[in-house]
Amino acid sequence: MRGALRFGRSTGGDAPALQPAVYLADHRSSGPFLTLLRYRELLRQLVIREVKLRYKRSVLGFAWTVLSPLFAMAIFTMVFSKIFGAAPNYPLYVITALLGWNLFSLGTSRGLDSVVINGPIIRKVFVPKAIFPVAAVASQVVNFLFSLVPLVLFMVAIGAGFGWSLLWLPIPLFSLTCFALGIALLLGTFNVFFRDVKYFYEAGVMAWFYATPVFYPAEIVPDRFRFLLHFNPMYALLESLRVPIYRGTAPPLGLLITGLVISLLTLTIGWTIFHRLESRFIHYV
Amino acid sequence: MSRGWKLGRTSRLLQPPGTDHATQDPASEPRVGLQPVLDITDLSVRLLLHRERTRSLREYVIRILKGRRVKKEEFWPLQEISFAVKPGESFGVIGPNGAGKSTLLKVIAGIIPPSVGRVVVRGRIAPLIELGAGFDAYLTGRENIFLYGSLLGFPQKELERRLDRIVRFAELEEFIDVPLMNYSVGMSARLGFAIATDVGPDLLLIDEVFSVGDAAFQKKCEKRMELFKAKEVAIVLVSHDLDIIRKTCSRALFLRHGRLAALGPTDEVVAEYERFSGVSRSPNPQL
Repeated sequence: MRGALRFGRSTGGDAPALQPAVYLADHRSSGPFLTLLRYRELLRQLVIREVKLRYKRSVLGFAWTVLSPLFAMAIFTMVFSKIFGAAPNYPLYVITALLGWNLFSLGTSRGLDSVVINGPIIRKVFVPKAIFPVAAVASQVVNFLFSLVPLVLFMVAIGAGFGWSLLWLPIPLFSLTCFALGIALLLGTFNVFFRDVKYFYEAGVMAWFYATPVFYPAEIVPDRFRFLLHFNPMYALLESLRVPIYRGTAPPLGLLITGLVISLLTLTIGWTIFHRLESRFIHYV
Repeated sequence: MSRGWKLGRTSRLLQPPGTDHATQDPASEPRVGLQPVLDITDLSVRLLLHRERTRSLREYVIRILKGRRVKKEEFWPLQEISFAVKPGESFGVIGPNGAGKSTLLKVIAGIIPPSVGRVVVRGRIAPLIELGAGFDAYLTGRENIFLYGSLLGFPQKELERRLDRIVRFAELEEFIDVPLMNYSVGMSARLGFAIATDVGPDLLLIDEVFSVGDAAFQKKCEKRMELFKAKEVAIVLVSHDLDIIRKTCSRALFLRHGRLAALGPTDEVVAEYERFSGVSRSPNPQL
């Protein structure tokens, strides 16, 4: 009866080593990435929903995508332009990094919640669960692209130049997206098991914002703390995003590469951990 | 959606992952002759209660600080289940509350991973486990057709082609551009049923969903089920209504405490279940 034993209820001691279970079905027999790819239509629908629903029932609707970054920029300018008067063209300085920061912070905080929020779906239909953090970050990328409209308008208004340096932008945008997705997958995973993660992150992301030169120039960081910036991936990412627009030059190659490497690494870690623990989500959501 | 069963594929096992079989669009996939749509061998599902119970970081830390290994608590919602369902067959699953019926459907649907054993599904699943899971109340009926349809893995083109028929079947022509939050429960259930069953599935998983809609709509659902049977769609039906099981299913499975208590022709299995019920009640909690 050895064969029967391994299926049996384990009675004390070490649990018998379980035979690996097999689930084969047409909708998911091809590994996590290909399964996700198969569901790209759902991904599209989720992103459309996110973008559509954001401004439903608001009078100005889509215009908010244009207006809110401008408002934020105006506020930062009013409050800080005197203090950081040294930074020329301060509004442009702020908005370039702020748009990137919004992509990151909104993408990660929505991604953090996404698995738990979609628990009712996960409990009732098979769906590649990574689709929810991916959709959360993808929506923010779409949002970022939309918010380039106010940015361009603003640049025209202040007579900023449009140079070839702008062609660098896809690289930091790609890195930023990967980084946000990696963090979103990690946070999304942990939040399934410990709902406290959300509250820690809310506090943490705020501290992170102030620790990153978004609305202040990196130069005002005291020399003895300056080295810390190199441990902050968001500094490399936002700076690579800002320099081509704000200074009209190529981003510092070191920062560009650092950002890309850290981002891909983060994404790999996030993706791996997510899919390692994914099968247990069903018992927690 | 009349896709005849093609005979002649000889390999008994599903092709390994990653081959053309897995990546093809299911609509264009040739059906595999004579193979069961659903093939379950020695399926067991294990829950580690000591692990799955900790919900907050505080509990977790306390557990670690307590140091000694927490007593292992296992629970097996399903144990050593084996059966197969052939195309066109209707298969009933009965048993007392907490016997593992819904868990079984969820394993088949790919929602709960099996811990032991082998589950093979060939073809497209339409899970009517809870109709309209994934509907968004803020979106209109039309938008939800695309959202829910893509959630079930149906391609956009197919949904567009079938949109009118879905709407007509659900009898929602006038309301299709109204947000779902203004629908009645029956209306959204109708829409869910219409979507999930319109796009030619190979295997229908039904968990007590016949109670949706009014009598007229129920009639319509039954007619559609008949049509499915004629088209060789396999059905796995979970119900407490033994009459429905007797009427629809040719074979059935009686689950008790997550184990096979009886498996065979419906009449015999139902008779077995009737003999048991009243005498014994499962203490197991519903998963």
